[in-house]
Amino acid sequence: MSKVLHSADLFSRLVKVTPYCLLALLTIPVLGGLMGVMLPAFGWAPALNKTNMSLAGFNVLWDTPGLSQMIGLSIRTGLISTLIAFALMIIMLAAFFNSVWLKRIEYVLSPILVIPHAAAAIAVSFLIAPSGLFTRLFSPWLTGWQLAPEGSLPYDAFGWSIIIGLVLKELPFLLLIALGILAQPELGKKLRMQHQIAINLGYYPMVAFFKVVLPNLYPLLRLPIFAVLAYASASVEMTLILGPNTPPTLAVAIMHWFNDVDLTLRIKASAGALLQLAITVGLLLIWLLLEKISAMIFSQSLINGRRHYAHQLVRAFTYIVTCVILVFIAAALIGLVFWSVAGYWRFPDTLPSSLVLLHFENAFTHIYTPLFNTLVVGVVSSGFATILVLLCLEAEQITAKPLAKWALLIIYLPLLVPSIAFLFGIVWLQQLLNSQHAFFNVIFVHLLFVLPYVFLSIADSYRRLDPRLARVAASLGSSPWKVFIQVKLPQLFAPILIAMALGLAISFGQYLSTQLAGGGRIATITTEAVTLANGASRRTSAVYAILQMGLPLLGFILAWGLPRYVFNNKQA
Amino acid sequence: MLANKFWQTLSRYSLCCVAFCICLIFSFKSLANTQLQSRWQQVESSGKDQSVYFYAWGGDAQINAYIQWAAEQVKAKYNIELVHIKLSDTSEAVSRVLAEKSANNHTQGSVDLIWINGANFAAMSKHGLLLKDWADKLPNFIYTNPENNPSVLFDFGLPTQGMEAPWGQASLTFYYDTLATSSPPQTLNKLLSWSKANPGRFSYPKPPDFLGMSFLKYALVVLHQHSDAMLQAKLNQPANDKNTAQVLDPLWTFLNKLHPNLWRNGEYFMQSGIQMRRLIDDTELSIGFTFSAPEVPAAVKRYDLPKSIRSYAMADGSLSNTHFVAIPYNASHQQSAQLVADFLLSPAAQAHKQKTAIWGDKTVLIQTSLSAEQQGLFKTVQPHPSALPLNSVKRTLSEPHPSWVEAINTGWETRYGASQ
Repeated sequence: MSKVLHSADLFSRLVKVTPYCLLALLTIPVLGGLMGVMLPAFGWAPALNKTNMSLAGFNVLWDTPGLSQMIGLSIRTGLISTLIAFALMIIMLAAFFNSVWLKRIEYVLSPILVIPHAAAAIAVSFLIAPSGLFTRLFSPWLTGWQLAPEGSLPYDAFGWSIIIGLVLKELPFLLLIALGILAQPELGKKLRMQHQIAINLGYYPMVAFFKVVLPNLYPLLRLPIFAVLAYASASVEMTLILGPNTPPTLAVAIMHWFNDVDLTLRIKASAGALLQLAITVGLLLIWLLLEKISAMIFSQSLINGRRHYAHQLVRAFTYIVTCVILVFIAAALIGLVFWSVAGYWRFPDTLPSSLVLLHFENAFTHIYTPLFNTLVVGVVSSGFATILVLLCLEAEQITAKPLAKWALLIIYLPLLVPSIAFLFGIVWLQQLLNSQHAFFNVIFVHLLFVLPYVFLSIADSYRRLDPRLARVAASLGSSPWKVFIQVKLPQLFAPILIAMALGLAISFGQYLSTQLAGGGRIATITTEAVTLANGASRRTSAVYAILQMGLPLLGFILAWGLPRYVFNNKQA
Repeated sequence: MLANKFWQTLSRYSLCCVAFCICLIFSFKSLANTQLQSRWQQVESSGKDQSVYFYAWGGDAQINAYIQWAAEQVKAKYNIELVHIKLSDTSEAVSRVLAEKSANNHTQGSVDLIWINGANFAAMSKHGLLLKDWADKLPNFIYTNPENNPSVLFDFGLPTQGMEAPWGQASLTFYYDTLATSSPPQTLNKLLSWSKANPGRFSYPKPPDFLGMSFLKYALVVLHQHSDAMLQAKLNQPANDKNTAQVLDPLWTFLNKLHPNLWRNGEYFMQSGIQMRRLIDDTELSIGFTFSAPEVPAAVKRYDLPKSIRSYAMADGSLSNTHFVAIPYNASHQQSAQLVADFLLSPAAQAHKQKTAIWGDKTVLIQTSLSAEQQGLFKTVQPHPSALPLNSVKRTLSEPHPSWVEAINTGWETRYGASQ
């Protein structure tokens, strides 16, 4: 008995410490990273023999030709792509809520989640380019084109190509998060029941979704949406491949300044990174404002009792949009597969003139080390992140105090700070500590990006756990440790697995962080893919994109398959 | 009689003197030689059995395979573990060394050896990030015949000061799709008229991309071919406020005429030479260019370009330069890195690299300074139909002073960087 008590105390004490560990883990590198950007932005860069604090960096920044166009493009693409992705996710959820189609759509969309942004951008650009698959289907028999025609997509000045690319990448993420929330036994069941009741009351299913489910669902979706919005406004990979470049988005310009051989441009780059931070924060505020406005407009209509709003039209629109998206994604995937085995494939041929395995053979000769590194870094970082997040959430329940608002903000900091600038600061910090352990450094930095997503993915499920079960177990004499392991974790089986899979996918997809923190010494599938995508062919990129999809996809298949298998066995 | 004796004695003394001097000179020379030798012996003994982290662009499978081959060779020769860190942009390695310097890491640097081009070299040497006085002391360096071959001592006009060892040579090579155009333009002027006749079928990567900048430098040098000597000489001097407009104006005039006929009307520029290659494969472009001529047949063999591609050199000249490897000042394995650099300069390694099936990069060694046996290593085989025909570079154009890169870049950015 005393032994049990002792271990229980130890567990509770351990658990209570974890939130502080989590916060320290995120605060120190993030603040350090920010310092590493702030100091040069204000002119302090000893390596460049500049030690006078000044606003010179900002003055140079304001004089950049086309700066306002860059800012406009960043804001436009970030906001519009997030709005569209969010709207599409909502109408798809609404139209297919409680239908088997939702699961099917999810299966089709989820591979997109794990395609690295660069590869997805290449796949999208192949579809919409003048020499792309769509034009090839109609050439030359209809158009008479023997050479690719002139076109305006991708690289259009407004940024529509970027928006298309981002929407295709963000929609699956948001949908997956929403389904993760709906997969919680209690909440999901409650919402489905309320939805059914509303339908029984004569509400059309989509209307019932908007009036009953959405108001309960949206607060849980807010942070993932913020992550998406912040990412979209500051992303580099997609905008680099799909966007215009006279001028590019601000984030891409900053990256070029950081990479320029003229090392003094780093001062301007650092100033630009702070501007990017301001823009991203501004966008989040705009979103909050939009939220308030729409709440004001629609609060009345929630209870006005109207059963339908041109629902036929909305339904038809949703079906068409869903089909278009699925066709688009299917075409992109088919394109990827064809490129990975294509021999010569000159415009206007719809199909490659021959199929070869050469590109796969070339990739497989150098794959073992990167594959090993990818798996080790991914499993360690997402495993550690999951454990840490679970303990933190348990601490919340033991102390009955939710994490403070500012603590939440810290968890999301790595997703809000433009990563290139912030990573440069982290590398500087790691150098200060003279840390030579490349593996440790990489895992540590991956953790910064994995933790928020794992937290996003589990937190709400954990907080919505029915407390009565835990209370009953405790009143029967179970120790907190036993309650945690035997009562809480089994209920969270599905969300935990999905969070792990998401963590793995995030870790697998990291490029800049792996490259910078590891000093380039830790080659992963993604670093190889991006290096080759910048250098080699669309064919090689396609091979790596397929490999990159394969790995996390395995994770997700396990995450969905295991709970079913376990529950089916239990029922049997 | 006395006088006779005096002269005899004097001549004997002077003979002795001369002999002594000769001895002295020889002993000094041999002393210097033994010093060099003992220096190298020391490098050899302390450089063995270690790892060398070689930061080099990793975007080309052929080059990666060559570096892999070199790794096997130095493993066998010196038991050195040569690790190729594949970069997508060399400036990543520059950033790394810079971050290390700003964090006061002056001895434990992670970059041991770095493949570098003129612009990165200028930046790194300006900020004191490179190890000095080692490259010209490599045993294999004499095969480059440095007295008569200044290209191995200067990088974009800057003296290398022993901070980098030459590795290979490249020149701007054009290639075109024979199914799209039968007579590609052979001069800069004809390129302008060709693009008027074939709008949207030519473009160049956006500066500061290395290849795009090379095209602009090629155009600049060619446009000044008939300028007076005073103006031409300014290309080899640093750019300043006074001469910039005078030197660059012909370039802007030319680009103003060229841009409306470029791909996407000159409103979007490619990011890199590789994107250009992809657009030629997609038939959106009909003419492209590269600084690495063997890339073209390699891409055709890998199916990345159609079989209808042919390479050629411009008749009005090809911009040429030498590329190098350098050692950061804080490299952890400086001796080992020198052993690797010396191996890369060896006739065997240079000959292997020059084979078109391997890499096709032109050697920096001068044939006359090699033995007959060493020269035999460089014998060539029948080139691929899409490869640049041998000896087709008739005129080489040397790089202007590196400061022009920034001047061109700034001018380009203000004129064409923000369209609409």
